[in-house]
Amino acid sequence: MSSELTLRHEQVGDCTKIYISGEVDIYTSQNLKDKLYNIIDTFQKDLKIDCKELNYIDSTGLGIFVGALRRSKQFGKTISILNLKENIKKLFIITGLDKVFTIE
Amino acid sequence: MSAAFDTIELKMPFKAEYVSIARLTASGVANRLGFDIETIEDIKVAIAEVCNKLVRAGSKSEDNYNVIFNMYSNKLEIFFACQDKSLKCIFNDGEDELGISIISALMDSVEFCSEGIYLLTMTKALEGDE
Repeated sequence: MSSELTLRHEQVGDCTKIYISGEVDIYTSQNLKDKLYNIIDTFQKDLKIDCKELNYIDSTGLGIFVGALRRSKQFGKTISILNLKENIKKLFIITGLDKVFTIE
Repeated sequence: MSAAFDTIELKMPFKAEYVSIARLTASGVANRLGFDIETIEDIKVAIAEVCNKLVRAGSKSEDNYNVIFNMYSNKLEIFFACQDKSLKCIFNDGEDELGISIISALMDSVEFCSEGIYLLTMTKALEGDE
């Protein structure tokens, strides 16, 4: 199970699909923020963030997702979160973010 | 309450790159006690939330904080300590509602402002022993 954070993206129809792999914590979060915001600003499309390979996240990463959503909304776009592991989905539910994001 | 049968203590620099080590240690300790995988993940997140807060706050007078794992037969107690007492009640600044929600939900009990020498304490019982 990798702890390194990697992020790749592709254009799929009207949206940008992002694949996050590894761990989002206080050390890797700035990297995520920089890349995520750059993708939002560059493509200005709805985002689908595939978290199938996301092994860890805490409030640091959740805060970045919230910031990304605010940024996307500036362009009139939304963010969907895909394939969350159950323990991570639990964090979205605990914090109420399951009502803020579309979770697929 | 039975006496702790083992204690593991980490001395952590106030640096973000080492929080993952605290998580790994928590994982190893919790696994040793027999917690299931889901609960181990919960404990990792909870202690990381505290470590994150401490790292962000930093200390003007100390280089390290301590994470202490007291291992009982039926529960795990985790204490956070630092000589710098300005870090007490560190979550009282109202800036980490997500973190507080997560810690409170994932652990069985949390004292965000501990009495005595500890900054914060949290406990997780083995299933069936709450």
